[in-house]
Amino acid sequence: MIIERSTEWKEGLVNRLENIEPWDNWTLYKMCYEIVNDNLITEFSGLQSPKYLPNLTPLSHQLEVAETVIERMNGKAILADEVGLGKTIEAGLILKEYLIRGLVKKALILAPASLINQWVEELNYKFYIPAIPYKKNYQLDHYDVVVMSMDTAKKSPHKELIYAQDYDMIIIDEAHKLKNHKTKIYEFVQGLKKKFCLLLTATPVQNDVFELFYLISLLKPGHLGNYETFQSSFSASKHNLEHDEYLRELVNQVMVRNRRQDTGIEWTNRRVQIIPIQFSEAEKEVYDLILDLKNISPVFSGAFSMITLQKEMCSSKEATALTLEKMREKCENPDEMDHVNEIIQKLMGLEINSKAEKAYEIISQANDKVIIFTEYRASQTYLQWYLNSKGITSVLFNGKFNKNKRDWMKRLFKEQAQVLIATESGGEGINLQFCHHVINYDLPWNPMKLEQRIGRVHRLGQEHDVHIYNLAIDNTIEKDILDLLYVKIDVFEKVVGDLDDILSTYKKTI
Amino acid sequence: MFPNQVHGYLLKFFNENNCPILTNTDHYITVQLTVDMDKKIMNRPFYWRYLESTDGVPDPAQLTFITDQNKLDGAIKGEVIHFGSPRLNQLFQATKELGAFVQMFERVSDKFESRPILTPWLGVNYKISYYSDQTKEMLYSLGINLMTGHLTDDFQELLSRVDLVSIRSEYVFHLPYIIKPIRALERLDTAIENIVQQDDHTWAEEAKRRWQKDLEVLEYFYEGVENKPECYEMEKKALEEQYAARIKIEVINGGLFYMK
Repeated sequence: MIIERSTEWKEGLVNRLENIEPWDNWTLYKMCYEIVNDNLITEFSGLQSPKYLPNLTPLSHQLEVAETVIERMNGKAILADEVGLGKTIEAGLILKEYLIRGLVKKALILAPASLINQWVEELNYKFYIPAIPYKKNYQLDHYDVVVMSMDTAKKSPHKELIYAQDYDMIIIDEAHKLKNHKTKIYEFVQGLKKKFCLLLTATPVQNDVFELFYLISLLKPGHLGNYETFQSSFSASKHNLEHDEYLRELVNQVMVRNRRQDTGIEWTNRRVQIIPIQFSEAEKEVYDLILDLKNISPVFSGAFSMITLQKEMCSSKEATALTLEKMREKCENPDEMDHVNEIIQKLMGLEINSKAEKAYEIISQANDKVIIFTEYRASQTYLQWYLNSKGITSVLFNGKFNKNKRDWMKRLFKEQAQVLIATESGGEGINLQFCHHVINYDLPWNPMKLEQRIGRVHRLGQEHDVHIYNLAIDNTIEKDILDLLYVKIDVFEKVVGDLDDILSTYKKTI
Repeated sequence: MFPNQVHGYLLKFFNENNCPILTNTDHYITVQLTVDMDKKIMNRPFYWRYLESTDGVPDPAQLTFITDQNKLDGAIKGEVIHFGSPRLNQLFQATKELGAFVQMFERVSDKFESRPILTPWLGVNYKISYYSDQTKEMLYSLGINLMTGHLTDDFQELLSRVDLVSIRSEYVFHLPYIIKPIRALERLDTAIENIVQQDDHTWAEEAKRRWQKDLEVLEYFYEGVENKPECYEMEKKALEEQYAARIKIEVINGGLFYMK
């Protein structure tokens, strides 16, 4: 075994014996011994970090995660706690522990751009880890702990600069962004040396089990076999899992996941319901006309654009019109164009938006702060106008806002407006525990997006029961979306573990 | 270390280094640094180089350290310092540098009729660290009699029971050492290595097993792949860095001690 030692002290002693340098102070000598003795890490196991962190009182599940990851998973793990349980704290504890133990000197944290400042602040103030946000032209050699956006990191010249560093620990927040192995960011992370590595995501499976395969293959290639063996043993079709138990066990060797109810903390209830809505006759007519377009013009034959149109029609005429107008430009045949024009006219003639009316009804009944999530910017603007006409104040929110604007909007919502209308990208990194009603105005394809949305309000610090309203229009594509959401939730629960209610309180069995 | 311990530590540290304490309450202190201390902990070499080259009047910094934020009232401007904060670590490091080598003599009363005799010892405090993907540290305090070559452990503990001063007394006869301190240091180095070698090293075997297991998993992933990609080699290197067992022996401090 290698024994490292230095002759530095010996040289210093020689200098003293030869009177080249003076002897030191006895009190400082004793103080030095005492400090080393007090700070000694006397056990391989157990956490040192908590005693260094007076400004932080970690919750017991967070300490447990840190210990499990270090002692059982050897510092390579997916932290998959449900949203709002403090994955950042867990990662901070683990990083701090390795820094104290001298096993990590340099660490790189990759996070979505909108969360960089939050990471830097938490690491500095809660953990006394001198992390800096990466800026162009920063010399990475000079900084030991750097927080960087994934988008920056994957591009040249940053990519090469990072590869040239020797990081002991890589932490990746919102790691579900790595679910697709064909992306640049996946390739980039694959090329990083990962001595210790934490992947943070509440949603390790979003659509199918292969996402988990690729995530784990980044962390520990081979843990789930290689692609061929994984495919043949675990999935004939993507949603049909045969060896659920076995797979779950393998997954649990590299993944820790706490559910809210496991944490020993009293959680408020989550009351989730699907609110069915009926189109008015006029709306239904336009919806069907749009559906029929695929038989009228080749421009509308693509499945993707049809699905988009149908979803938009379930949201607002404003959203639909934008797409419809764009597609009209592509029509070459004048008859087809006329036909589309007619539909647009009918569309714009609609006086009622049944879904918006339902949303209004819920808001008035709640008589409290409400967050509305929509998938479309046009619907966002429309809803603000519509609610305003009913005397309800609202603010808009989306993830592209910088930190100042986010904080400002959050404050406006807290202090003045009744409703916050957010687009999808507003789902990450804003915490709104003072609100306890969420309307999912449009349903996303991915159930984990719903979980992320709900997590904005149903997290530590929420004092009231949380009400979730999932709006879905009968006899439209939203019915199909609901069915698919149920299937995906089922896959997640089989491989990863149970989920809190997302769609409705009663689980549908498939 | 609790806030009051940090507070006590700061007072002691700055006192010993001749930095006047200007204010001292139960939760903060203000200290006037000396030029030497400023150079050591303020991290401003350019200022000092400039001052010295222009023969300016040195103006070492005054610092206020808040040791207990909870007791703070009013607008005290200062650095909050606590166990784990970078500043305290820096002061620990400074303590280590300023307290690395000593030469001490047992205090003897001058009322003795015959001249007392003091025997020289070399004492060294060693820190041993075991590293794999986990760590453990041990502290050994060894002493060697420079007349007889007799070794003893828990030497620091022994010293704590002796009244030591840094000034050589005229009344006392100091035996010259037979074993040169550098030779003695080599003997202690050997002794500490023996201690390490005789220790239980299952930790290293276990780390090796974890390493082996992860290596097998990795090999499985690339089984049958003819030209293994670059990341295969990198993963292998990462595993080595993660699990390879290393031992570090470090001298914390030590010195010559003349005792009865």
